[in-house]
Amino acid sequence: MKRNVKNIAFKSVIWTAALVSIVTLLFLISTLIWKGFGAITFDFIFSESKNFGSEGGIIYQIIGSLLLTLCAALISFPLALGVAIYKSEYIKKRSLQTITDTIVFSLNGIPSIIFGIFGLIFFVNVLHTGISWFVGSIILAIMILPTIILSSYQSIISIPISYRENAMALGMTQWQVIRTVIIPRSIDGAFTGLLLGLARAIGETAPIMFIATAFSGVTFPRSLVEPVSTLPTHILALAQQATNPQALENAWGSSLVLVTLVFMFSISALVRRIQYSKINY
Amino acid sequence: MASTFISIAITLLIFIVLFGNSYDAFSQIGWDLFSLTWNPAKDQFGVLSMLYGTFAVTLIALLLAVPLGIATAIFTSEILPDRFRLYVKSAIELLAGIPSIIYGLIGIALVSTWVASIFELSSGRTLVTAGILLAIMILPTIITLTDDALHNIPKKYKETSKGLGLYPYEIIQKTLLPLAKRNIAGAVLLALGRALGETMAVMLLVGSIDKIPQPFFNLLSPGQTITSKLGREVGESAFGSLHFSALNAIGFLLLLIVITLTICTQLYFRKEARSL
Repeated sequence: MKRNVKNIAFKSVIWTAALVSIVTLLFLISTLIWKGFGAITFDFIFSESKNFGSEGGIIYQIIGSLLLTLCAALISFPLALGVAIYKSEYIKKRSLQTITDTIVFSLNGIPSIIFGIFGLIFFVNVLHTGISWFVGSIILAIMILPTIILSSYQSIISIPISYRENAMALGMTQWQVIRTVIIPRSIDGAFTGLLLGLARAIGETAPIMFIATAFSGVTFPRSLVEPVSTLPTHILALAQQATNPQALENAWGSSLVLVTLVFMFSISALVRRIQYSKINY
Repeated sequence: MASTFISIAITLLIFIVLFGNSYDAFSQIGWDLFSLTWNPAKDQFGVLSMLYGTFAVTLIALLLAVPLGIATAIFTSEILPDRFRLYVKSAIELLAGIPSIIYGLIGIALVSTWVASIFELSSGRTLVTAGILLAIMILPTIITLTDDALHNIPKKYKETSKGLGLYPYEIIQKTLLPLAKRNIAGAVLLALGRALGETMAVMLLVGSIDKIPQPFFNLLSPGQTITSKLGREVGESAFGSLHFSALNAIGFLLLLIVITLTICTQLYFRKEARSL
């Protein structure tokens, strides 16, 4: 019964491996929740930070993060939808398709720190904007472009050809077809992509740490060219003083808040995707 | 539609800006870039130790995460009942979205102290620590993509193999894995790209010392990766200096490596990529 033994061996290897990864991932999430809950109080969330973040709360960090991401969404969404529509409706040549694909995928693969350096050179030093939250939003918007493009494109190409043919038969121009058929039909998918993109953008540190954020003494920005403080950069600063238990505790608290925000975006994206996949045309 | 041209222009702009700013380094330092010492005060900019660090950390991460991830994916797609699969998969996809700075925090607060006490080191910030954290980071990506690859194999292959009287392990080994090989390779390449470009967790954990450990396979010593170097020093170097230019040059190298990988993955995959 050699095969039998092998089968059992194989199965136990798989079970062990699965157990190891699931335990690791569970450990990750439970540490976060356990350590984070210990640090979070009403005061912690709704007061400003003091003494380089080791005391006080994180209200301005939360506001800064939300501001950066929402502004990135406003910049990125129309641009991405435009690219997706152009790619599906106007580009007919196979070779051009491949080129756009390659560019979108390359953009998706660029490491986040490279975006940070690019922003530092191009905006802060060449355009002389100084350290500004708006530049951070632009960089984040560029970063999440591919995610939104891909997911809008998917939903555009899943529109049945008959919709398009009917619209054409009514004598609509191509622009009218896009406005009345393509956009309403694909906006859902695009929005799901946007949520996924935002979930990524809000947690990013590397692209914004040189160009958009300052660590302490920052309140609500009064103009486009002021720095803000965000949750990820706050955690970074606190993690570097990890020997101070008070700073570490605040870091855990900020992490839990950050993860909650990320999950809010990604869970709503997941739910939408599951609902969306149930709709049949 | 102007938006497409804006997007294309942005991508090209990133390339041009990075290359433009690293041109000084390439022309003035030339092949000395590939030497060992990095000392901005003396205009010595050698990137070998960072290349080594990036390579070592990524290798550790892949060695840990790939077998574990593939085995877990076999578990979720072949052993776990279908009812639970959706939940487990959604949970894993959520985990893939945890920001890297949080991995860094967990690493610095917990894992590095464990590494330090297990191996009796003075500091737990080593190449191995960074590799372990990176492995945990890319694990969810590998699991979900491999799981998709295995699950998308038409049922008839499995049924035929079963009909031949094969044991489950033989079905998985001889039928399913070979069929899903291409897509699994794609998943690994994607994870590799992510691991190479990862900054925050690695920067906090790798120790940030610009040298190749002695002897070179002693991975329990601090090192430096391309990304951690960039993260630590870009803020400190003056714009327009040779130092800044040299940092740009390693950034450009990293960009080239990652883009080549992406294009290879794309050629290899040829399927529409998933967005998560």
